[in-house]
Amino acid sequence: MKNNFFKDVKLGVFVLSGLLLLIFLLYMIGRNRNMFGSNFNLRARFENVQGLKAGNNIRFSGIDIGTVKGVKIINDTLMEVEMIIDKKVKNVLKKNAIVSITTDGLVGNKIVNITAVKSPSLYAEENDILPSKKSIDTDEMLRTLSKTNNDVAVIANDLKITINKLNTSEGLWTLLSDKSIAKNINNAVAEVNSASTNINIISKNIGTITNDIKNGKGTIGKLISDTLLPKSIDEAVMNIKKAGVNIVKLSSDLNKAVLNIDTMINDGEGTVHALMKDSSIVIKINKSLDNIQEGSKGFSDNMDALKHNFLFRGYFRKLEKSKQKQ
Amino acid sequence: MKNTSSINIFLKEVGDTSGFGWRFLTQWFRPRYEIKEFIKQCYIIGYKSLPLIGLTGFIMGLVLTMQLRPTMVDYGVESQIPAIVGIAIIREIGPVITALIFAGKIGSSIGAELGSMKVTEQIDAMEVSGTNPFKYLVVSRILATTFMLPILVILSDTISLYGAYLGVNIRNVTSFQLFWIQVFDSLSFNDVLPAFIKTYFFGFVVGLIGCYKGYNSNKGTEGVGKSANSAVVVSSVLIFIIDLLAVQITDLLGFN
Repeated sequence: MKNNFFKDVKLGVFVLSGLLLLIFLLYMIGRNRNMFGSNFNLRARFENVQGLKAGNNIRFSGIDIGTVKGVKIINDTLMEVEMIIDKKVKNVLKKNAIVSITTDGLVGNKIVNITAVKSPSLYAEENDILPSKKSIDTDEMLRTLSKTNNDVAVIANDLKITINKLNTSEGLWTLLSDKSIAKNINNAVAEVNSASTNINIISKNIGTITNDIKNGKGTIGKLISDTLLPKSIDEAVMNIKKAGVNIVKLSSDLNKAVLNIDTMINDGEGTVHALMKDSSIVIKINKSLDNIQEGSKGFSDNMDALKHNFLFRGYFRKLEKSKQKQ
Repeated sequence: MKNTSSINIFLKEVGDTSGFGWRFLTQWFRPRYEIKEFIKQCYIIGYKSLPLIGLTGFIMGLVLTMQLRPTMVDYGVESQIPAIVGIAIIREIGPVITALIFAGKIGSSIGAELGSMKVTEQIDAMEVSGTNPFKYLVVSRILATTFMLPILVILSDTISLYGAYLGVNIRNVTSFQLFWIQVFDSLSFNDVLPAFIKTYFFGFVVGLIGCYKGYNSNKGTEGVGKSANSAVVVSSVLIFIIDLLAVQITDLLGFN
């Protein structure tokens, strides 16, 4: 009898442990699916739910806060995702939080991501529809990637051509393999270096010069810093002004004189007027010139006669001899 | 001619087994209830099988984890080992391995026990003495196997998962808590409930075939061995057939 009792106890323990484990298993799964405890429902609408299923996790800033209850079709371009959210986040989750559908890792399950927005809003309540954001679709990503790939291919091709050109270009290679260039560049750099030291010196000198000028040394310095100079310049200008006035006077005097001469000429007084205005005088001068020509011709004849005259013959011969000697 | 007769024999067996099962289904809820015998059988069938089932379950969990590990590392999803092992054990390996071991241990013992009772004409004597041998022997045993196997499967799953936890910890370090969270995270009711429900059918089949083979064993000691043997073989095959049916049905119902 006692033996039987122990057998019954053992059996009871065995059965109970099995049942408790089963209940525990079911409870754990149920808890993971948010079947127990206090929850509230939220909704979000998407154009494309990307294969989201009931039971997928919902994350709020990286923490699992619930599961997807189901996906409903509202119309041909709008799907509604119903979410079961833990009540614990009710006083954290706001109405303007953004819902998006993403993938857990690269190839993991779909998850719903709720992201908080940093602007004031009321807390989300039962059956609210939260704003949704179109998430990055893998298809779209691949499409972009394929476009990028094409671009890269084109670039690679161009690069290939360029490199080919560079490879076949003799000029470049001679330029590259020419050792003297490096030397020249070296020299040039040295020259530039010395030039720059010179420039340095020059600038230093300029510095001292400007300093001097500032301090009133030298001509320019005096020019700039002498306070008396403007006064003397002023005086000079005044003198120039006076000279100008005198010149004006002089020119008016000259004008008068010229006018007098003009009137004198035109009014027929004096020799000049006779010379310039009297036409008869030209004839007279012409006649007298003719007379002079005739007179000089007569004189020439007289002179010839004189040469042949015995009185003067000796003198002329002497003249000729001295000419020949020279 | 011989061919036709062997088909006939097979069909007769199927028909007789079905008739035996039908007899059980129509009898088990009617008084009088053999509660004491039922509890005694539960103790023998359930509790006494636990060490064997526990050992095989533990080894299965450990081995499965260690075998899966290299491939998982190749794919870079080492962290998913608990989830995969958990699903494999809960859904398929736990129920089927446990049921097979159960069939080997209990099916054969029931077949041999009832067979020897039949051979020594104890069953006939029981009938004469006024006890319903079908109720006393068959109903209590079939009910005991039907209700004990699910519990054994649950315990075996738990021990297997513990073995898997040790298996993960051989090469890697994971905390007990993280392991269980990962296992439960990957499980859903669709994994647990069909697997749990089918174990009732496994238990029923093991009990039914064991009892049928024993109850209808041929005369002679040879018949006892034959009925014990065929009880194990047939119930093992039926376990796989039920498993196939179960997965088809759950798939059709959309619970897969």
